[in-house]
Amino acid sequence: MELQLGLALPPPPLIPIETFDLNSYGNYETREALGTNALSWPLLKLGPADNDINNIHHHNSSSSSSSSGGGAGCKKRSFDEAPFFDEKRNVPKTLHLLLWTNQPNDEDDDPSNVLHENSSSAIFKNDGEGLVGWPPVKTWRKKVHHQIPNGGAENNRLPAVENGIGGRASKSTYVKVKMEGVPIARKIDLSVHHSFEGLTNTLMRMFGISDGNRKSFKLTYQDREGDRLLAEDVPWRTFIRSLKCLKLIRSRG
Amino acid sequence: MQKKMAYSFPDEVLEQVFSFIQSDKDRNAVSLVCKSWDEIERWCRRKVFIGNCYAVSPRMVIRRFPEVRSIKLKGKPHFADFNLVPDGWGGYVLPWIAEMAGAYPWLEEIRLKRMVVTDESLELIAKSFKNFKVLVLFSCEGFSTDGLAAIAASCKNLRELDLRESEVDDLSGHWLAHFPETCTSLVSLNISCLRSDEVSFSALERLVGRCPNLRSLRLNRAVTLDKIANILRRAPQLVDFGTGYYAAELQPDVFSNLAGAFSSCKELKSLSGFWDVVPAYLPALYSICPRLTSLNLSYATIQSPDLIKLVSHCPRLQRLLVLDYVEDSGLEELASSCKDLQELRVFPSDPFGAEPNVSLTEQGLVAVSLGCPKLRSVLYFCRRMSNAALVTIAQNRPNLTRFRLCIIEPKTPDYLTLEPLDVGFGAIVEHCKDLRRLSLSGLLTDHVFEYIGTYGKKLEMLSVAFAGDSDLGLHHVLSGCESLRKLEIRDCPFGDKALLANAAKLETMRSLWMSSCAVSFGACKLLGQKMPKLNVEVIDETEPPDSRPESCPVDKLYIYRSVAGPRFDMPPFVWTMGEAVRILH
Repeated sequence: MELQLGLALPPPPLIPIETFDLNSYGNYETREALGTNALSWPLLKLGPADNDINNIHHHNSSSSSSSSGGGAGCKKRSFDEAPFFDEKRNVPKTLHLLLWTNQPNDEDDDPSNVLHENSSSAIFKNDGEGLVGWPPVKTWRKKVHHQIPNGGAENNRLPAVENGIGGRASKSTYVKVKMEGVPIARKIDLSVHHSFEGLTNTLMRMFGISDGNRKSFKLTYQDREGDRLLAEDVPWRTFIRSLKCLKLIRSRG
Repeated sequence: MQKKMAYSFPDEVLEQVFSFIQSDKDRNAVSLVCKSWDEIERWCRRKVFIGNCYAVSPRMVIRRFPEVRSIKLKGKPHFADFNLVPDGWGGYVLPWIAEMAGAYPWLEEIRLKRMVVTDESLELIAKSFKNFKVLVLFSCEGFSTDGLAAIAASCKNLRELDLRESEVDDLSGHWLAHFPETCTSLVSLNISCLRSDEVSFSALERLVGRCPNLRSLRLNRAVTLDKIANILRRAPQLVDFGTGYYAAELQPDVFSNLAGAFSSCKELKSLSGFWDVVPAYLPALYSICPRLTSLNLSYATIQSPDLIKLVSHCPRLQRLLVLDYVEDSGLEELASSCKDLQELRVFPSDPFGAEPNVSLTEQGLVAVSLGCPKLRSVLYFCRRMSNAALVTIAQNRPNLTRFRLCIIEPKTPDYLTLEPLDVGFGAIVEHCKDLRRLSLSGLLTDHVFEYIGTYGKKLEMLSVAFAGDSDLGLHHVLSGCESLRKLEIRDCPFGDKALLANAAKLETMRSLWMSSCAVSFGACKLLGQKMPKLNVEVIDETEPPDSRPESCPVDKLYIYRSVAGPRFDMPPFVWTMGEAVRILH
């Protein structure tokens, strides 16, 4: 079928899913044989339920590793009991995959899924604005695109470190943060903070400083001229515009 | 049998024969033939490539290959480019330099990628290797111009100094003046990443002027347009040139000077740089355009009409890097003018904007795939895609070896049918039988991984984000992709099952990265305990993984094979799983 641009109809799937045959490929044989204990690793079903491809092993819901209930206990049983590193047995040509209990509910009850929900909100770090590392553009390139796209060099100066103005994590900028006494510097994305409060909270978390100890640290920064200043002495906007790097020092007295 | 061989082929003869064998794979094969060949081969291996600096220890390398002259090391995982690997994770080169300083006094070449290099390391290099010739620091960090000054000052036979895309603490431009007046050996100098406004321009000019073999010179943004002509006139033999700023008020004498300087460079084939471009100065390049094979305009914020004009002068272009300002119209022009095109990379001008700011769609890529028969490598950022377009591209260009598509909004479906893009990417892997590298994006279900597992037999590197429905997806890839070396995954619902069921596969790969997925801490521990030849690293900056139940998913997971065992230079937020090691921290 000649395919032309703009036609709405996609061609049929390359592999009709209903007749998908596990036996025809997947010849990859693992060197260390995986446990093929049928009870622990019953079969994966692809497509409609009646196309049970591997007839050898059958769906056994009682050993489902994703049954509902307390998380830690369930998980332990399936992982520790499954002898999946059984060196004596070879993996047969038909792949033994893992049980999928077809009821979507089981997936919902799966504690790891619940936690995944939480962790996916963790993707949206930076106070819910934007994804870290997406789109996958190198930091280099992010910094270049500060310029105004109208074909000319409106300003010949180097792109300044500026706080984001609207957009999703637009113009995100990372600055180095050092803590007194800690050899390794970290980096923090400034564009997602809008106040000293928020910034300090993140820094406390990053360096593992408890609330109680918070008072014993002061946030300082180095500006473009190289001077060291106390962060809280200047308004937020001034701070953001002129800072080059941050340092947490222990306050005396 | 071995004795007979020894009499018929003395070692020296074998060594001579082996010296013609350059590829690592072939050399490895040679060393497997028999013990004596292994022995001879290892003494005459001069080049070593280590794809993961933690896969082996410096001592092991030195023990096996005592006479190495050239080493290439890679450190951090690829996703470090996108800030997914926290600072301080690792990848330090100093231990390697320290060991090699003693063992390889005749070392000539060091090439590093994504490693942490300190001034101390650079100073040690400068001091230790009397015949040092080549230093390439690709996407490295941790050093300053002080370290570069040490290299410049001490390395009398330096041929290559290439700092591409590295992060350098640019303390002053005067480091260039540390190249002694006697240094005339430079062949390649790439300082494009240096950000300071000052570069000792007179030192640069003199250096360029006294190195008659200089073939590749990439300047940084500090070098203004009016200075380019001076540099070019001192180095008309250049093959590869990276401009600095390409912007200035249009002045006829500056223009003609520049045009004249370019035209005197008869060997120039490759151009890059072009920060801040004033389109009026582009015609200064026209005299060399017919010879150009490589053009990197990915920092040039010029619009499609100017790009089209430039590109239409370059019929021999093989490699083009450009911003999406080129638009579909520009790519159509490219497709009709540049029949030799092999590689195209289109970068987003406004990656974080919510709305498209340019008219660049899947049409542009389809046009290039139709018009450029030699196209092999694609990196394309866009905002919409269709299965139909992907199928067309696949059918037009079965010779693709690298296909990286980034649809900017995660989980974007086929814009025509609103279906997932499984079929489209499936067509890519099915038709492009030599595909070695693939990056996915858009709305994708487990089906796309079925296709990849079925057809992606030559696939070596796969990047996945916001895709798949279940562990089945990951299982298809791990069980089907026979040549897979690097797999990097973020934000996919892949959990323990596929990983544990394919644990042995991981030993055949260089590395696996998974972040924001659903792999539990318990599974990581188990994997670490059962697979001693893997380092299973759990990365979590917020809290230790064992402060939560074992069924909780880990934030980031990096698994790589290693014969060196667990490493000991980890920061507090990285834990190595393992039996012997407990939870190493």
